[in-house]
Amino acid sequence: MSAHLSYGRVNLNILREAARKDLREFLDKCAGSKAIVWDEYLTGPFGLIAQYSLLKEHEVEKMFTLKGGRLPTADVKNIIFFVRPKLELMDIIAENVISADKMHSPRDFHILFVPRRSMLCEQRLKEQGVLGSFINIDEYILDLIPYDSDLLSMESEGAFRECYLESDQTSLYHTAKGLMTLQALYGTIPQIFGKGECARHVANMMLRMKREFAGSQTQILPVFDSLLLLDRNIDLLTPLATQLTYEGLIDEVYGITNGYVKLPPEKFAAQKKQGEAGKDLPTEPKKMQLNSAEELYAEIRDKNFNGVGAALSKKAKIISAAFEERHNAKTVGEIKQFVSQLPHMQAARSSLANHTSIAELIKDITTSEAFFDNLTVEQEFMTGVDTDKVGDTRSYLHYIKLGHNIDSSCVFAHVIPQVNAYIEDCIAQRDPLIKILRLVSMQSVCNNGLKQKVFDYYRREILQTYGYEHMLTLNNLEKTGLLKPQTSTRNNYPTIRKTLKLWMEDANEQNPNDISYVYSGYAPLSIRLAQVLARPGWRSIEEVLKMLPGPHFEERQQLPAGLHKKRQQGENRTTLVFFLGGVTYAEIAALRFLSQMEDGGTEYIIATTKLINGTSWIKSLMDRPEAQTL
Amino acid sequence: FYVRASYKESKLEARLSLLQSAVDEYNKAKNEFAAKATEEEMKLLRFQRRLDEEKGEALLGLSLHDTLHALLSANYHKQAEQLYRDFRVPDKRYWWLKLTALAEKEDWDELEKF
Repeated sequence: MSAHLSYGRVNLNILREAARKDLREFLDKCAGSKAIVWDEYLTGPFGLIAQYSLLKEHEVEKMFTLKGGRLPTADVKNIIFFVRPKLELMDIIAENVISADKMHSPRDFHILFVPRRSMLCEQRLKEQGVLGSFINIDEYILDLIPYDSDLLSMESEGAFRECYLESDQTSLYHTAKGLMTLQALYGTIPQIFGKGECARHVANMMLRMKREFAGSQTQILPVFDSLLLLDRNIDLLTPLATQLTYEGLIDEVYGITNGYVKLPPEKFAAQKKQGEAGKDLPTEPKKMQLNSAEELYAEIRDKNFNGVGAALSKKAKIISAAFEERHNAKTVGEIKQFVSQLPHMQAARSSLANHTSIAELIKDITTSEAFFDNLTVEQEFMTGVDTDKVGDTRSYLHYIKLGHNIDSSCVFAHVIPQVNAYIEDCIAQRDPLIKILRLVSMQSVCNNGLKQKVFDYYRREILQTYGYEHMLTLNNLEKTGLLKPQTSTRNNYPTIRKTLKLWMEDANEQNPNDISYVYSGYAPLSIRLAQVLARPGWRSIEEVLKMLPGPHFEERQQLPAGLHKKRQQGENRTTLVFFLGGVTYAEIAALRFLSQMEDGGTEYIIATTKLINGTSWIKSLMDRPEAQTL
Repeated sequence: FYVRASYKESKLEARLSLLQSAVDEYNKAKNEFAAKATEEEMKLLRFQRRLDEEKGEALLGLSLHDTLHALLSANYHKQAEQLYRDFRVPDKRYWWLKLTALAEKEDWDELEKF
C-alpha cells in the first residue's frame, strides 16, 4: 500500500512509519474498545498516514464525525476525540460529553489535539465544566505528511491566508517544527536558502530550535544537501495560470483533495459493463486515488496534456502486444510465465482504461472554445502583449485570425483603455466569480497593478454583477497584493520575465527540453529560482531578487565532525524545496522534470503547506458573509 | 468591519444603518471607492424594497445584475431602464444582460425592438 513512498531518492516511508508509531502508542494508552470521533477536516490527511485496518488492529470499533448534540450510541469503553485546536470545536465536544454523562453510561473520554494542544482550548473545556471528564489529553504532532515519493504536504488549507492576510504565524511555527522532525529523521540539512518574509521567519525559528537542542546532536548522515524556502508571495502569478500538465488539469477541472479525485461516473459506466455485466449504472461519483504507486499514472501525470494522448496510445499498443504473446507461448514453461504476469498486465490494462476515460473527459474541456479563449488571454498577459492601450483591437484581430466567431460584444468600443475585453465579456455573462478574480489578478500582477481607473472599473463591475458582499473579498485580494492600483509607472515584470526567461516561445509539449512546457510556454518563476540556485547560483540574478518582495538569505548549519558527506563522483545533490503558502501540480511537475535532467545534478524533494490551484487558492482568500434573508 | 455585522442583520432598517456607519468608517480611512460602493449598495437596497412593495417581486438581497435580470424577465422594462441609468451600468454589459434575459423567456418581439 505504501510501497511507492520508498522508491524515491529519499525514503519517505520512514517519516510515515514514525507518524504511525506515535498514533499506535496513543491508541494503546486507552485500553479496551474505542470509538473515534473525527473532526471532519482531519480525516483526509489521516487517510494518508493510516488506513482503517491499522485503527482496527488497535480495537477501534466505530468512527463518527464530530457534530453538536448527542453522541451516537456505541458500545465501547473509550471515546476519543481527534480534533484541531479550535475553540468552536471545544464547545461541540463539551456538548457531546455533557449529553453522554446524562445517560450514565460509564465510558472514558480522551482528546487528541492535532497538531498541537492549546492552553486556550483546555481553558474553554474547563469553563464548560468538562475538562475533568477527560482521562488523556494529548497532542499528535502531524506536520508534514508524506504525500508521494517526492512530495510532502502539511495539508493546511488556510496557510496562505493566515500568513499573508491575517499575519498569523502559527502555520510558520508548524512548518519549522515539521522541518525539525524531518531533520531528526534524515539528519541536519547543512545549507538553507530562502527568499521572502515568511521564509526568513521559518529559518530563524529553525535555527533557534536548533540552538535549544544543542546538546542532542543527531548522529545521522544527512540525506538532504540543502533546503530552499520559498514564499508564495514572491510568485503570485504561477498559481493564477491554468495548469496544463495532466495532473494539473485533473486538479483544475475536478479538484484533487488529499490525493483523491472524484470523477463523474458516466464515462466509467461503459467499461464496467464489459467486465461484470448487469451492474447498475453508478450514480455516485467515482473516487480514485492518484499517486505514483500506479505505474502508468507516474509516467503521464507530469506530461503536458498535449503529450498525454500519444503516451496513452503507445502504452495501449505495448499492452495489447503483451496479450498477443499468449499465442506464441508453446511450452508449458512459457505459458506458466505468461500466466504469472497476467495480474500485473490486467492491472495495467484497467489503469490504462481509467486514464483514457479521464483524458477524454478533460479533452472535452480543453478543446472547448471557452477554455481556449481563457488561455489566450492568460498567455497575452504573461507575454505582456495585451497589456497596453492597443489591447482591444489586438485581441479582436486575434479572434479573426483564429477563425473564432466574433460576437456582437466585441464591436462595442471601449471608453477606458487597458480594460480587457474578454474579462468584460465574462463578467457580463456572469461567469463564475473565481474565474474573473483569477484573470483580473493576473492582469494586475503582470502589470504591477492596474491603473486606478481600470481598477475601480473592474471592482465596480464585479460588485454590481456578483453583489456588494464581495467587497470584503476584493479587500483581501488587495491586501495580499494580488490586486492593486498602480502606484508607480515602473513595471518590473518585463525585466523579471526577460532575465529569468519566463516565457519560451517554442515550448516543446511532446518532448520537453525546458520547464516551460508545464504551462505551454510560461516557466514558473518559483521553479526558475530553484533552477538558477542550483546553477549558476543566485549571485547572478541579484538584481531580479531585489525586485521580488522579501529578503533573500543563506544560512549554514554546523554538522558534527565526521558526518560530512563524501560525495561520490557523479552523485546528485538532493534539495528539499519548501513552498510556504502552497504549490501547484504544474510546479511539482517542473521540479520533477529538473530532477530527471541528465546534466541537472540536483534532485528535488518537494514540501509545501498545501497543494493548491488558482481556484482553491482564491477561494481560501474569499470572504462570504452569510447574508440573512431580509 | 461593520460590513460583516450588517449581513447578520435580517431587518432592513438595521442593516442600512450599519452600512451607513461602514460608509463613515470608509470615509475616515479615506477609502473613497469602498465608501461609494457601499452607498450604492444602500441605494440598491432601498430601490429593491420599493419595488417589492409596489409589485410584489422578491428582489431584496439580489445583486444589481440579478435585479436587472429579474426585472427584465418580469417585463418591468421601465424600472430596469431606470436602474441602468441610475447606476451607470456600462452599455456592453447591459446589452448582454438584456439579450440573455429576453432570449431566455423567448420574448422575440421585445428583442426586435432594439
